[in-house]
Amino acid sequence: MFADGLFIGFAVLAVLGAVGLVLFRHPMNGAMSFVVTLISLAGLYALLSAKLIFALQLIVYAGAIMSLIVFIIMFLNIQPGDLPQEETKLFYVLGGGIVVLPIGLFLAKIVKSLPEHSTEILGNNFGGVKEVGLLLFRDWLIPFEIVSILLLVSLVGAVILAGKRGTTK
Amino acid sequence: MTNDLMLLMPLIIVGAGAILLMIASTYDKFTHELAAYGSAGVFAVAFLVQLSSCIAGNVAPFSEVFNGILVVSNFSKAAGLIILACGCFTALSSQTYFRRNNFCSPEYYSLTAFAAAGMLLLTMAQELISVFIALEIMSLAIYILVGYDRKNVISTEAVLKYLMLGAFAGAFFVMGSALVYGAAGSTKFVKIGQYLAANGMLHSPVMIGGAFFIMVAFLFKAAAFPFHAWVVDVYDGASVPVTGYMATALKTAIFAVFANFLVIDGALQHKWITFLFYISVLTMFVGNLIAIGQQSLKRMLAASGIVHSGYLLIALVAVGTKDFTGSVIAFYLAAYAASTLGIFTALSYLGGTGEARKTFDDFKGLAKARPYSAAAISIFLLSMAGIPPTAGFMGKFYIITSAIDAGQITLAVLGIVSSIISMWYYLRLIIAMYFHEASEQFDEPAPSSLAPVCTFILVLCVFAISLYPIAV
Repeated sequence: MFADGLFIGFAVLAVLGAVGLVLFRHPMNGAMSFVVTLISLAGLYALLSAKLIFALQLIVYAGAIMSLIVFIIMFLNIQPGDLPQEETKLFYVLGGGIVVLPIGLFLAKIVKSLPEHSTEILGNNFGGVKEVGLLLFRDWLIPFEIVSILLLVSLVGAVILAGKRGTTK
Repeated sequence: MTNDLMLLMPLIIVGAGAILLMIASTYDKFTHELAAYGSAGVFAVAFLVQLSSCIAGNVAPFSEVFNGILVVSNFSKAAGLIILACGCFTALSSQTYFRRNNFCSPEYYSLTAFAAAGMLLLTMAQELISVFIALEIMSLAIYILVGYDRKNVISTEAVLKYLMLGAFAGAFFVMGSALVYGAAGSTKFVKIGQYLAANGMLHSPVMIGGAFFIMVAFLFKAAAFPFHAWVVDVYDGASVPVTGYMATALKTAIFAVFANFLVIDGALQHKWITFLFYISVLTMFVGNLIAIGQQSLKRMLAASGIVHSGYLLIALVAVGTKDFTGSVIAFYLAAYAASTLGIFTALSYLGGTGEARKTFDDFKGLAKARPYSAAAISIFLLSMAGIPPTAGFMGKFYIITSAIDAGQITLAVLGIVSSIISMWYYLRLIIAMYFHEASEQFDEPAPSSLAPVCTFILVLCVFAISLYPIAV
């Protein structure tokens, strides 16, 4: 029962954080609101007894990545005057909501059709570092390895799109 | 064991080549022209290795270590051959293009090779998470190639649009994978197929929803009807060789993985036939409508790419899930790739500095000034329109006969109608080239001979592919 309450709490917070991210005018408020989402997601992972993912979510996402984002926003030093006038924002948000609504209803219908199960925590150290590691290197070797190519591509891309480019040789 | 290694060799060569090019590009002495030759060499070697591999049925290389996630078949081999050939021709035509347009650096060729590695993975991956990662490797590399010219506003707009919408499609794919995993308890295609065979499709709304979201993502990447709006702007914003690469290799990879996903199980494909039927009809006709209205050549080719996605969707509707070979799809992709890549290769040396020649009118009288190039472009256009004896005709012929065999007569007839409508905009360029007086001289020489040579090799390919026999 307590876990149910926690789940609802985290889920509502996660959604509210995401809504705030979209609706806040200043990027810094948006970033702070995004932190709420990331931390509540970590809570949800903890409820699933995924210990390693819980820790990673807090350290990597809510910690490292968010501080990077906040750092960049502060670096840009955005004043309220720099922000564009968005008089039609409400209109766009409403329109977007109407477009997304069918998908939301569709998802709600899917979730409703799920059979009710009472679940228990698996035990045997499920979600621990060792177990996740074994799974990652035994069953999921290919996705694990090709992610490294993905990261390499995005690294090269960031350098090319943002970095100083030498004169054509 | 050795054979397993050989099957993966093209992927390993392209991946290692991409990393080597990336490292080499840090040296000042490594110019972008050297990188062009290097990457073309990597693609050519990988192509030959891929050509030499013998595959019987579905082989999972290193199935113990890789857990059967990568599966190689003759279909993936054919798709891989098309992708590698496209990569090679793109590298060579880029060399010519960048003699005149000054925004290249050696990393460009490294990214083309990375994109090809992602595409090869995509044709082989038989597991949703790996498909997603491969899809992102390919897309990220392509986003960067689209936005390579940072000073060009149109290209910056294109990359922003593509990145945003592509991220949206990626999110749909992940959502769909999660739902499919919730239903089937696995993301491997084999396990999903077993689940569907045991339980059927309709018993589980989660499965239907998941498959729907995954299909939305694929339709977006393939530029099918409701998700086609980005194509014209993005193709227009990218530089000519990149547009050619996107239109051919990327489409090949997407349709390969789309077909692999659909043939997981007969129930899955059967459930979506009606849905795909309307999508393919709308894709063809909406694409035609957009293409007729275009003045710019690149935008017209982008819109005609939408139409060709429609034909490929016909092939997907008609595909048989038992003993799937994918030969019709692979054949059409090869035919389409040869002619589309040919046009873009020709444009990369005819376009002029900063792609000054854009519209149909700019190519008026090309036949007088450059008869061979104009003839080559006409052959490519006729192949895309589906006039015999070109490869495009045979491709359409196989698609339409396979649709009739599958009982989709309406679809076959609509395919023919759409192909007749498409003559309008293909012939328009031929008329402009042959029956109008030249308003300019076209007298600047081609910056290097590589792109013209590639164009004429592709002309030969257009005829050679049409002679290649396949079992429908």
